[in-house]
Amino acid sequence: MSFTLRSVKVPPNSVSLDEARHRVFDFFRAACRSIPTVMDIYNLHDVVAPSHLRSVVAAEIRKHASVTNPKVIDMLLFKAMEELNNITEHAKQRHHIIGQYVVGREGLMQDTGAKDQGASNFLKDFYKTNYF
Amino acid sequence: MALRAALLRHVRVPLQTLNPAVTLTGPKWGPPHLRWMSSHDDHLTKNEVTDRVLSVVKCFPKVDPSTVTPDVHFQKDLGLDSLDNVEIVMALEEEFKLEIPDKEADKIDSTNLAIEYIYNHPMAS
Repeated sequence: MSFTLRSVKVPPNSVSLDEARHRVFDFFRAACRSIPTVMDIYNLHDVVAPSHLRSVVAAEIRKHASVTNPKVIDMLLFKAMEELNNITEHAKQRHHIIGQYVVGREGLMQDTGAKDQGASNFLKDFYKTNYF
Repeated sequence: MALRAALLRHVRVPLQTLNPAVTLTGPKWGPPHLRWMSSHDDHLTKNEVTDRVLSVVKCFPKVDPSTVTPDVHFQKDLGLDSLDNVEIVMALEEEFKLEIPDKEADKIDSTNLAIEYIYNHPMAS
């Protein structure tokens, strides 16, 4: 298949953090350039705007922004490339894309908090994480 | 064969020299300097490019729209990081239907560089 050729970019290991950084930006550009195709395949034109998908991809990259080991960055990039290839070759389905990349980025915690409205800010932070 | 050659020598199509006064370009019913289907002066104006670039930058969720001017630097003035820089360049690619090569995209660091690059690009639309 021609579109799985994109995975060829990652195998040789990055020598330095700088090269890994360039690889990350190249991956981000490839992902952004394939967003119109993805929106066509999964029919997302009425659901989400391309700028939203771009922000979501950037947020995913930023989750690992504190990594400094180039080999770990290569591994993360490999997984990201695999995910991108899966999405563009239509191996996923529309509800996967909507659930993972469009709707609620807080994970599975989707309740709108109707029972929590009286809670103080302290309690809200407490429920979210140990360190605040 | 010889008969055919002899016949052909007798039957000749008369040559017509074109009247050099007839203009070959332009429609017959209008002045010849109007070219209806030319895209020669179809480039974007600098004002239009500036407006569109600024609107793309202002719509970026991490940017405060009131601080955006035609001369603002993405990382120094707007407080974005390098990934945001790449994202803004990709948003500009989408807006103007261009494809900016990586070497040029790395250099676009501020709004006036972006406006200049897009204005000078022949394929911007």
